[in-house]
Amino acid sequence: MSNQHNCENCPVHHKENLIRLGIAMDKVDYVIALAGNPNTGKSTVFNNLTGLRQHTGNWPGKTVTRAEGGFSYNDKRYKVVDLPGTYSLLSTSTDEEVARNFILFGRPDVTVIVADATRLERNLNLVLQILEITDRAVLCLNLMDEAKRNNIEIDERTLSKELGIPVIPAAARQKEGMMELLGAIEEVASGRYICKPHRIKSRSDKLNHAIDSLVGKLKQQFPGLPNLNWVALRLLEGDQGMIDAVNSGELGTLSPSLIPADI
Amino acid sequence: MENKEKVSAEEILSLANTLRWDLGMNLHDTVTESIYEGASKIAKKTVRVKDEKSSVNWDLKIDKVVTSKWLGFPIMFFLLALVFWITVAAANIPSGWIASLLIDTLHPILKNGAAAIGFPWWLSGVLIDGAYLSVAWVVSVMLPPMAIFFPMFTLLEDFGYLPRVAFNMDSLFRKAGAHGKQALTMSMGFGCNAAGVVATRVIDSPRERLIAIITNNFSLCNGRWPTQILIASIFIGGLVSSRWAGIVSAGAVVGVAVLGIFFSLVVSWALSRSVLKGEASAFSLELPPYRPPRILQTLYTSLIDRTIFVLWRAVVFALPAGILIWLVANIHIGELSLAEWFINWSDPFAMLFGLNGVILLAYIIAIPANEIVIPTVLMLTVISSGIAGVGAGDGVMFELDSIADTERVLRAGGWTLLTGINLMLFSLLHNPCSTTIYTIYKETKSVKWTMISTFLPIVMGFAICFFTTQVWRLLVK
Amino acid sequence: MSPGSLLLIGVVVVVFLAWIFWPEKGLLSLLTKMRMNTLKVQLEDALKFLFDCEYKNVSCGLHTVAGNLHISSNKAAAILDRLQEMGLIEPRNETYQLTDAGKSYALRIIRVHRIWEKYLADETSMDHKEWHNAADLKEHQLSTEAAEKIAGQIGNPVFDPHGDPIPTAGGDLPLHLGVNLSALKEGDAGRISHIEDEPGYIYEQLMALGLYPGMQVYIMDVSAGKITFAAQGEEIVLTPLFASAITVEKLQEAVHVNNKYELLSSLEIGEKAEVIGISPNCRGQQRRRLLDLGIVPGTIVTAEIKSASGDPVGYRIMGATIGIRKKQAGFIFINKKIVQV
Repeated sequence: MSNQHNCENCPVHHKENLIRLGIAMDKVDYVIALAGNPNTGKSTVFNNLTGLRQHTGNWPGKTVTRAEGGFSYNDKRYKVVDLPGTYSLLSTSTDEEVARNFILFGRPDVTVIVADATRLERNLNLVLQILEITDRAVLCLNLMDEAKRNNIEIDERTLSKELGIPVIPAAARQKEGMMELLGAIEEVASGRYICKPHRIKSRSDKLNHAIDSLVGKLKQQFPGLPNLNWVALRLLEGDQGMIDAVNSGELGTLSPSLIPADI
Repeated sequence: MENKEKVSAEEILSLANTLRWDLGMNLHDTVTESIYEGASKIAKKTVRVKDEKSSVNWDLKIDKVVTSKWLGFPIMFFLLALVFWITVAAANIPSGWIASLLIDTLHPILKNGAAAIGFPWWLSGVLIDGAYLSVAWVVSVMLPPMAIFFPMFTLLEDFGYLPRVAFNMDSLFRKAGAHGKQALTMSMGFGCNAAGVVATRVIDSPRERLIAIITNNFSLCNGRWPTQILIASIFIGGLVSSRWAGIVSAGAVVGVAVLGIFFSLVVSWALSRSVLKGEASAFSLELPPYRPPRILQTLYTSLIDRTIFVLWRAVVFALPAGILIWLVANIHIGELSLAEWFINWSDPFAMLFGLNGVILLAYIIAIPANEIVIPTVLMLTVISSGIAGVGAGDGVMFELDSIADTERVLRAGGWTLLTGINLMLFSLLHNPCSTTIYTIYKETKSVKWTMISTFLPIVMGFAICFFTTQVWRLLVK
Repeated sequence: MSPGSLLLIGVVVVVFLAWIFWPEKGLLSLLTKMRMNTLKVQLEDALKFLFDCEYKNVSCGLHTVAGNLHISSNKAAAILDRLQEMGLIEPRNETYQLTDAGKSYALRIIRVHRIWEKYLADETSMDHKEWHNAADLKEHQLSTEAAEKIAGQIGNPVFDPHGDPIPTAGGDLPLHLGVNLSALKEGDAGRISHIEDEPGYIYEQLMALGLYPGMQVYIMDVSAGKITFAAQGEEIVLTPLFASAITVEKLQEAVHVNNKYELLSSLEIGEKAEVIGISPNCRGQQRRRLLDLGIVPGTIVTAEIKSASGDPVGYRIMGATIGIRKKQAGFIFINKKIVQV
């Protein structure tokens, strides 16, 4: 496992390399999606990265409209898309649809998952769901200061090993950990860090069997898609967006036209 | 090739369907459970809580106080009252500054300047007396209270107190078929209904959100408070000796606001049982941990946001209204201006509701902004009753410095105590301002709900004014 | 005009408007209801009934059709003739058989009916007693496109809230699954997969007993004229007639069948418990929300604070405090004994 993101003396982690671009987002090299549960400080991370001042309230579900911003880091230009905060990606609400369609069809180069360190188990629910869809992700373990106050200790290295993605402890309100986060984003975006994302195994035999037989059929139609298990599961849940994508053949090209117009 | 693909897609979907029948009804449950199982395994390996007992759980301690049976509601009322009091008390001063700058100083300068360059009278009338003045009015009335009210709300939100208000108030709103968070969007409506409508986004259940949107207009917004206060001090404060006038008229205004809350709940109840049959379909309310608010940053962002909002609203909505008001008062057909035609024609009808033609016209042309209702009413009253020596000319909105002068103008226009009461009721119960209507459409994306939100209150307003008037006339002779 | 007469006129206008627009009982909704009871509705109802007979392998003739639709035999005969003219049914001996066109027509109505029931159950608070009747009206109004759109919004359901499979848009329907409760023997365990919603009086009684699809049952005793079984710790006795309205899926082994569950709403402040599951009666959005919040078997919940008015209560679930209303908490089964306080 790579621990490069812990290297504090590396030149990449110097603040001077970060140029906040606000809403100027032309000619981007990488697209970053920002996902997370409501009220985990996702917007604060967004503001720290882009220099924008999106309102960040202590109120679950505050970021209802999507926000986009940009920054430049080590001469690469990044566009950040702040997805609506959701508890899950499995339900039928519009917010969740926007988030899951963006991660699947928008194909961001890196999905940064912001998690609340004081409620890791609850947040892992969403983390694991996202890792089913994408294999390029970074976990930003936010609110480490609050966790410390509550005597919660998290073994980040084991967590990173279990999830198969970089895990960066942070306290976004104090601007701590942001440089390390940038480093990890860059490593995953550039392909220097290869994620080996955790995939759910503990499903019932019946379900596994159903997924397998569906994946078999899907493989013939859409060869080369990395997340066929997820596609199969969505079809079994009757997700209309996914059914349309299969029907129109758009799944094969992963064309961005399926993403709702306001994303 | 294309044909083959089509068959294959159908095959996939039909296989999926067969599998779904096989998997039974609990699929979603088992999927979610398996994910949590994974999460719990990982959490057990990586999270350690040292010594849970030793740390003091401050959040719980605060929660026990702010949600306690005895202290919960008093604390809430105290904090909300404090926010309103600060807003009302502190907004007057900057409002006065802006008004004296934009209206008393800049307006004459612009007029003189226009005359000096040789503008025709109608052009300077439309642009300066119409457009400029209404923008200036909206900015001076609206900006200070907005810039004070909303940052305070935001601070309470950042601290984490607002979810507790929703938590405490939920049982009341549940009985009305609504969501506890409606308590908050309603409170925000006291600042600005458009902002209140946007705030309903925190309500994550569609039906309850719609209820909150439709009923937000029953919260008396900042643009309507000055009308209420002025009319209450003239007609209701005037009923008692001057010693008690202040308290009695303040009581009347609060009474109207409380009546608004009452209507809000009743209408929520009726909606949830008729058109929107369905209760909180997915109620849950996370109580986040308390966090120290970042005061400076909040004040800064909030101030910028609100200023931009008010300016946008003034230019987009109030400016055309200003032009319209001026034109209506200055275009003549025969002897009379358009305004007088309308006033004379609608007067008998308006009398049924205890109002008059001036009020009806003012509410029609001032739909864009409630805060120009009083200046428009005064201007139209002067035109229609032909009082000499007051006002600034046809189509020029104005306000008078002293309440006694205002009263003289209104009484000359035929106003009575009943007219005053009805105006207060009508100011509470009429269509939302056009900014709010526009916001409702943007939030609901539905013409139907926008129409209902617009016409429901005005129908209620007419009905209530009608019955008040007729009962009054029956009893008070 | 005097205020008195104006007041009178005002009151009359208000009463008149209320009389027209009052939901469900007003003139407007009565008129809509009357307009709905047309020939088309009766034809579709008859077709649906005949399809149901075929699906269940019962033979249905003229009189059963008349009885089911509450119309005279003459009228029923006219309707059946009309269906034959339309090429939807064919006579066979004393009964009728659906043609292919008839079958696909019937399946479409059934699909719309069950989708609408599922929609009502998941997305509205309409009482379970009202679903069936509401869907009986809606099935004749809703266009195929509108029904498909609703189906897409609620996740293309394959089962209705009674546990019946919903036919696909293409007209597929799985074979009748499961066995009758009355066919189980002592010691058998099963999960209720379906409760027949017709006739209504039997359905309502079964609902009143708290039975619903998804519930596990354990047969305690079968003797002449009655079946005794345990469902969620309650002992229930039914006659074979009532039992035959219940379809069950046989289970190899039964878990928790004999435990009477406690409900989260009974947890006192400061107490802890382990979640056993969510009642199948909690559906749709509400259920998904609870699952997303971490209400899954094995989760430990602590009742932490009561709101100033007593309801909702804030529960500590996986590190977060979540306010849940009493009614929802009443859907969550818990076990207090596993967790030592």
